[in-house]
Amino acid sequence: MNTQVPATALCVSDLVVHFPLSDGKVVHAVDGISFEVPVGTAFGLVGESGSGKTTAALACARLVEATSGTVQLGDIDITQATGNALRAARRDIQVVFQDPFSSLNPRERAGSIVRRPLDLMRIGTPTERERRVDDLFATVGLRPEQKTLFPHQFSGGQRQRIGIARALATNPRLIVCDEPVSALDVAIQAQILNLLARLKRELGLSYLFISHDLAVVQHLCERIAVMYLGQIVEIGSRQEIFRKPMHPYTMALISAVPSTDMDTADTRIRVKGDPPSPISLPPGCRFAGRCPYAVPRCSESLPELVTRDGSHSVACFRTDEPELQIKR
Amino acid sequence: MTQNLLSVQDLEISFRTVAGEVQVVRDLSFELAQGEVLGIVGESGCGKSITALSLLGLVPNPPGRVSKGRILLEGEDIVTASERRLRQIRGNDISMVFQEPMTSLNPVYSVGEQIAETARAHFNSSRSEAWERAIEMLQLVGIPSPERRAHEFPHQLSGGMRQRVMIAIALVCEPKVLIADEPTTALDVTVQAQIFDLFRDLQHKIGAAIILITHDIGVVAQMTDRVIVMYAGRKIEEGPVSAFITDPRHPYTRGLVNCIPRLSLDPSDDPEPLFEIPGVVPSPSDLSLPRCAFAPRCRNAFALCLEKSPPLLPVAEGRAAACWLETEKPG
Repeated sequence: MNTQVPATALCVSDLVVHFPLSDGKVVHAVDGISFEVPVGTAFGLVGESGSGKTTAALACARLVEATSGTVQLGDIDITQATGNALRAARRDIQVVFQDPFSSLNPRERAGSIVRRPLDLMRIGTPTERERRVDDLFATVGLRPEQKTLFPHQFSGGQRQRIGIARALATNPRLIVCDEPVSALDVAIQAQILNLLARLKRELGLSYLFISHDLAVVQHLCERIAVMYLGQIVEIGSRQEIFRKPMHPYTMALISAVPSTDMDTADTRIRVKGDPPSPISLPPGCRFAGRCPYAVPRCSESLPELVTRDGSHSVACFRTDEPELQIKR
Repeated sequence: MTQNLLSVQDLEISFRTVAGEVQVVRDLSFELAQGEVLGIVGESGCGKSITALSLLGLVPNPPGRVSKGRILLEGEDIVTASERRLRQIRGNDISMVFQEPMTSLNPVYSVGEQIAETARAHFNSSRSEAWERAIEMLQLVGIPSPERRAHEFPHQLSGGMRQRVMIAIALVCEPKVLIADEPTTALDVTVQAQIFDLFRDLQHKIGAAIILITHDIGVVAQMTDRVIVMYAGRKIEEGPVSAFITDPRHPYTRGLVNCIPRLSLDPSDDPEPLFEIPGVVPSPSDLSLPRCAFAPRCRNAFALCLEKSPPLLPVAEGRAAACWLETEKPG
């Protein structure tokens, strides 16, 4: 390892994605988030459904258009790139989708699915592409002779391997993984997570990893951001987030995970109700309505994301209050 | 042991396929006591959901049927019960919360009507009584302003609210047995925690026995008293939940318990690779061989495993496992 500041694979600043509705209202899916993914690391974006994590990830690959903000991939701003520049940028950023059943074309053979990005990007000669597909199959733990099979002839875990091989085809720098294991059986999840960890180590890949499963994110990601209703409420290293969570929502998320130690049920931080709608947002902290520690100030103004120590930032007025210092 | 509410004996469920009849559940026996929470754990295709359906007489026939065994609810056999009798049992004695609250609720009726419908079907009560009962149930499952919510339609409610409505429907007749098939997989963790709090609460209030079907080991640890592990249609391990978590006996159970990433409050910089169970679940039509169904994926398999399927034998007080390693050590 060198001592230089590690290069950045992806740099997102002030990304905003709003979806206008027909009645003039706006869905605030992503509302001004910033983060960096250093080369060779995994960055986890966690949050519940509707928090905007998937929209943020798709905007990074420009599969949805950003309303404002920049997504810097190397020296290209992918939100502004057009034509050939965008095409070239997409060599460097690929996506593995959640559902391995609907994200593969059922009428295409596995080999052709994996070769498709090479064809589209015109990488290598036809024989080189075929050889690359063989290599990719081996890399993700499939046998090259399975190239001629159709997606329905594979199990869920094997299909996700095909999805990963397809994402690897163009030798990208960064792979966006959108809940890549949540549709899989537990025993298969472990196989895919181990594969992703091995590829990161061996190929120096970076991941933008989207998940609602804290244990999975903790296992794979060096840095983690917690999203709530379109905003990052806490961001920090794996150790910072789990050793000393500072936002009440992060604490609630961590304590809501059913633990296999059987005596933790009573130390839980319970949150009430459901998140408010991303159409009509409250003026103050978006979590205030569900937060057990909220004071009147919380519903009046929105706390900013403030760096506390090291690389650990939190958006909460009350994070220093004694009642928020969690007991272990 | 107290008197058993539900007793499943040598249950076998078969499905007709183009390749002949296949058994998706075999030799399944278990007991459920009053007030107990039983977990049924396994991967998709292990037969856990069809077992749940069979308890309600809901195995789709054709192509499926209960081909052997008995399901006794307080001594009465559900397998041979008439459709008329089954309609009385469903909802009244045994009810079920399904996995997908969105597809299990009727989109064109208000949630209040859907709860009231169940009450009217079983209690012969008037419309207004049933409606009041529906509002009471919505209150019980923790839906704020139930009088207003009762008039709303499923699409107006969030996922957590919908699942609460499902639970309200399941509990409106105060069943003796509540079956919950992956009741929280479609929900977020904070909402999942709320739903499980609700289950615990209701269990205290109503005293129902619960069968919880899940693949989430954390949920099992938090919610259940006793666990059955199923693999390829068979029960391969059974025991109290603490033993299941801390000292699993069957290699498959051990794999299931160890392959999940555990949330740590003090994570290390460089996590160890997860334990993997190699390979995939066999399809029911692959099970014609006499060997142990798990043998092809088992690291500890030896000659006997490939010759004969191991029987389920007691391994400790209140525990059983179907593995030759527990009974016939190799060499």
